[in-house]
Amino acid sequence: MATLAVLSLVASAAVALALGSVDVPLSRVLAVLVRRLGGDGGGVTVLEDQLVWQLRLPRVLGAVAVGAVLALCGAVLQSLTRNDLADPFLLGVSSGATVGAVTVMVLGIGVGGLVASTAVSTAAFAGALAALAVVLLIAAAGGRGLSPHRTVLAGVAVAYLCSAYTSVVVIMHGEGDAARRVLSWTLGSLAGLRWESTLVLLAAAAVALVWFSAYAERLDAFTFGEVSALSLGVPVTATRWVLMVATALVTATTVAYAGVIGFVGLVVPHLVRPLVGHRHVAVLPASAWGGAVLLVWADTAARSLVDRQEVPIGALTALLGVPVLIWLMARRPRT
Amino acid sequence: MIRRTVMPVASLAAGAVLLLAGCAGAPEAKSEAAEPDARFPVSVDNCDHDVVVESAPERVVTLNQGATEVVLALGLGDRLAGTAYLDDAISERWAAEYEKVPVLAEEYPTHEAVLEAEPDLVYASYASAFDKGVAGDRSALAGSGTASYLSPFGCPEEDQRPDPTFDAVWQELHDVAALLGEPDRSQSVVAEQRETLDAVSEEAAGAGLTALWYDSGDKTPLVGGGLSGPQLILDAVGAENMFEDVQRGWGEGSWEDVLAVDPDVIVLADASWSSAAEKRAYLEKDPVLSELTAVQEGAFVTVAYSESTPGVRMVDGAAAVAGQLADLGLQG
Repeated sequence: MATLAVLSLVASAAVALALGSVDVPLSRVLAVLVRRLGGDGGGVTVLEDQLVWQLRLPRVLGAVAVGAVLALCGAVLQSLTRNDLADPFLLGVSSGATVGAVTVMVLGIGVGGLVASTAVSTAAFAGALAALAVVLLIAAAGGRGLSPHRTVLAGVAVAYLCSAYTSVVVIMHGEGDAARRVLSWTLGSLAGLRWESTLVLLAAAAVALVWFSAYAERLDAFTFGEVSALSLGVPVTATRWVLMVATALVTATTVAYAGVIGFVGLVVPHLVRPLVGHRHVAVLPASAWGGAVLLVWADTAARSLVDRQEVPIGALTALLGVPVLIWLMARRPRT
Repeated sequence: MIRRTVMPVASLAAGAVLLLAGCAGAPEAKSEAAEPDARFPVSVDNCDHDVVVESAPERVVTLNQGATEVVLALGLGDRLAGTAYLDDAISERWAAEYEKVPVLAEEYPTHEAVLEAEPDLVYASYASAFDKGVAGDRSALAGSGTASYLSPFGCPEEDQRPDPTFDAVWQELHDVAALLGEPDRSQSVVAEQRETLDAVSEEAAGAGLTALWYDSGDKTPLVGGGLSGPQLILDAVGAENMFEDVQRGWGEGSWEDVLAVDPDVIVLADASWSSAAEKRAYLEKDPVLSELTAVQEGAFVTVAYSESTPGVRMVDGAAAVAGQLADLGLQG
């Protein structure tokens, strides 16, 4: 099964590498990869190398990393809060990041000497951390160690506050195509990823996979409820803190580079559980795989569905995610 | 409010009548006095809306920079009762005249602020200027005695908009000059622009060069397509627009195509929300795009955004591109 998973991911990535506005046949794509990996590429041109190795590969691997991170975080948070609708943006990360991004994009407040796109990434990451801190402060204020209920409410409250700020700034100060740029940032995009950013994303994905897998057994305990977890000897509060902060940090990293890509984190864990069961030792890697494959295909569709125009990837994942969400709700009518 | 809006027109008319009465015998005087007003009423078909002006508008409110600059270019700045919403800065050649006009708001003024200026003509570049919260619906304005004109390039429906050409730009100048009762003004402005444009075409500073018109965006570039001001400017200087086949004004380009074509020169639009320097820094810093020939050789041309959209300053844009191309001395 693991081999099958790896193969399907590699095949998806290979197809994605061959698609783009400039035609590069699959055989030439392979030649570029072979040459770069130390083999004999057989007369690879500079342009082919630029297109495949420098533009497309970082983007495809970025999709793998972002998809894996989002789905992993979704799986962890759903178990941690025992809430089917939990997703990686539960803790205000996306809305906080949007506040940061909008502040730079619309108000033009620069971040010392950085070019625009880097400044937006940096501000988005900072905004996400700030929102996370506020959510945790509100959630923890009542004592009782981060109850899921309070955390979800705090996340909603902060998200509303952030979106109010965003709307006001865009309407009052937006010049030119500001509204369009903000909207397109909010819907996420893997366009423009270069190796520098992709390596960070791959590192985040690796850390998330290893770190969360180490908590697999504790997460199993959580799914039976807080009391059962306590009776099994799980340090409930400490585990919650560590995992919530960790998921928010890796999610914020993806948001900084790729914007807010919705529904992957919500939907993928639900899709893989029927395949691999409910044990986290299987759910976590399976989610990572599912998120990666889904996002590689969503991104491929995003850049090739419409000629010469990127379809926002967040819209594509939502188009896929909404029917699944409806199916989930119909299947489990409890609140 | 409505009465106040009509007042200046009414008092003007009343004044004229008094003057006539004082001058001579009624019948002849009437026809004589009507003489200067033979230009009125003027009616213009504008975005499927009939604009009728009964007498020379004296209190014009312009919304959006393009509209403001048209009136200033016609040398009729003294008719402006108010203006609002700049994209960047008014061209230096009209800056002094612009200074004398009250600015109603940074961006769009509120509906009341427009009424307070007591306009007899509201002239705007974009349809959004006639939204409820701003100047209000054009028919409603007409009902209360205020004429309105919208740049044809900004018509609400796409099929009402002309293809961007210099002739369409000049038609707008002729329309506005006619509405303001000074049709000669547009004739001389257009003649002058035509002369500049002919000189630019003759020089053909961009002959044999392929150009990328880079407007904004970084992850995917927003570029000048085949139906845009940039296309007209590049045509005028004799250069080829690499995204000519994008059948729209501005469209998303693809960096892959840019790498494949490797353009000879990159034109950077300079706007307050996306400066030319910012875009140049991005190109020079990006590991892949920095390898483009134009980036390596510093073959950049900078044009103010407001000189790159179809409007009264587009000829200046063409002249600027031609001048900078000549300075770069690129070989096509």
